[in-house]
Amino acid sequence: MIELINVTKTYANGVDVLLNVNLHIGKEEFIFIVGPSGAGKTSLMKLLYREERPTVGQVIVDRVNVVELNADQIPYLRRNIGVVFQDYKLLPKRTVFENVAFALRVTGAPRSTIRRKAMQSLELVGMLRRANAFPEQLSGGEKQRACIARAIVNNPPILLADEPTGNLDPTTSWDIIQLLDKINRRHTTVLVATHNKNIVDDMKRRVVALESGRVVRDQQLGGYNV
Amino acid sequence: MFSNLEFFLVEALRSFRRGALMTVVAIGTITVALVIFGFFLLLVVNLSNIVGTFSSKMDIAAYVESDISLANAGVLQLKLSKIPGVLKVDFISKTEAWRNLKQEFGTSLNLGEIIVGNPLPHTFNITVRTPELLSSVAKQVAGFQNIDEVRYSGKLIDQIQSLVSAVRIGGAALVILISFATLLIVVNTIRLTVLARETDISIMKLVGATNTFVKWPFIIEGILIGVIGGFLSFVILKLSYDTIISRISAALPFLPVVTNQTLLTGVYIVMILGGTALGMLGAYISVTRILKAEV
Ligand SMILES: Nc1ncnc2c1ncn2[C@@H]1O[C@H](COP(=O)(O)OP(=O)(O)O)[C@@H](O)[C@H]1O
Ligand SMILES: [Mg+2]
Repeated sequence: MIELINVTKTYANGVDVLLNVNLHIGKEEFIFIVGPSGAGKTSLMKLLYREERPTVGQVIVDRVNVVELNADQIPYLRRNIGVVFQDYKLLPKRTVFENVAFALRVTGAPRSTIRRKAMQSLELVGMLRRANAFPEQLSGGEKQRACIARAIVNNPPILLADEPTGNLDPTTSWDIIQLLDKINRRHTTVLVATHNKNIVDDMKRRVVALESGRVVRDQQLGGYNV
Repeated sequence: MFSNLEFFLVEALRSFRRGALMTVVAIGTITVALVIFGFFLLLVVNLSNIVGTFSSKMDIAAYVESDISLANAGVLQLKLSKIPGVLKVDFISKTEAWRNLKQEFGTSLNLGEIIVGNPLPHTFNITVRTPELLSSVAKQVAGFQNIDEVRYSGKLIDQIQSLVSAVRIGGAALVILISFATLLIVVNTIRLTVLARETDISIMKLVGATNTFVKWPFIIEGILIGVIGGFLSFVILKLSYDTIISRISAALPFLPVVTNQTLLTGVYIVMILGGTALGMLGAYISVTRILKAEV
């Protein structure tokens, strides 16, 4: 489903955030990308939905080399990759429902479809009740759920979640991870970037550890540490 | 596109209301720019009208030797009308000319008592197609037999001629220049409204919006701003023009100012359409520039 081949990313300031990364992720896998802050987790995800391009190497998503996509094609790539951003990126002046509906609207879906799918998505993440709230009225966990609802509303085959438990208490964190697991069981490939040790250890899934931009461990049924 | 039309309209109106201050600034800018633009347009239209009115009154008077027979005069009239560039030739017999003159003086002065006989010659009034042809046609007319003297106001015509071209060329240049200046101002004003929503735009793009999708609400907003600006400038300009023109007509009644409603309506339509186009183009350029900078 996802393949990184000899990927190196050097930002304009000369820092190598990713160095010769090779990674293969199969269909419907659930995978943790772990590593300390600054290890390159976010950068790796940005390569997948073409917010960034690798300096060297290939990035294949669903059999498409996304490095070579031109600007007109990028929107269609992004509709197939749901992203839960580290900083949520909810539109502040729109309700939860409108935020979720927006991801459908850009696809040109008819109004009735938009409404039905947005409601389904909100129901799945347990946010129907808060559909008419504005982002600033939400708790951290609710914001995270709203983001997840928006990310999956187009039924993308891939879901990326960047530090989805970053600012949450342990119980809420656990709820969110359960939700991501539920989405994974609905045949979605899920990548979770995190440095939450407890969750990674409890879930016992494939773990890819990054350190200063290098893959230092790739382990099935792994824990946060070796 | 069509299925999204309603959404784009709602988005445009929403942004229009939310950025109230910016919207007012943009509308104000377009209005002021268009009023200046329209002012020059009306000025040019009027100058060209004045000049045109004067130059269309230019014709040649050819005086004929008194002993010509009316039959020969008819032949001569036919020959004159065959000169290239001549529009029409009117024959005014000395009798007719004398009657006209006496009529002009009316009862205040009895010319027939002061002057014995008819001192006036037969005259051909020759109208040419364009004022530039006056001098060459006049020369040819002078070469004909039985023509005594040819008169036309040469110097004045040449001056008016150069004024005509100066007004037309200068006016066109000015109008083009002001259009560009206006566009530049509008682009930069609307740019501010777009910049205020840069974060929104980047989020839209991250969830898979195409550039076209992002652009439409801004373009509709630009059109809205342009239409309102165009309409305001039309109202301002119409009120001022009507006031100014009525004052000028009162003070200088001989000046042929433009009051032709069809022509004025044309100018006002140009203003409103121009405002619309400016708003649309301004928004398009601004949003395209910002989208270029996005991933
Ligand atoms: N746009 C950028 N330009 C320059 N350096 C960047 C940029 N984005 C991230 N970095 C740097 O790259 C490194 C990795 O960042 P990031 O991928 O966000 O790591 P993580 O998500 O694991 O914390 C950090 O040192 C960060 O400062
Ligand atoms: Mg990060």
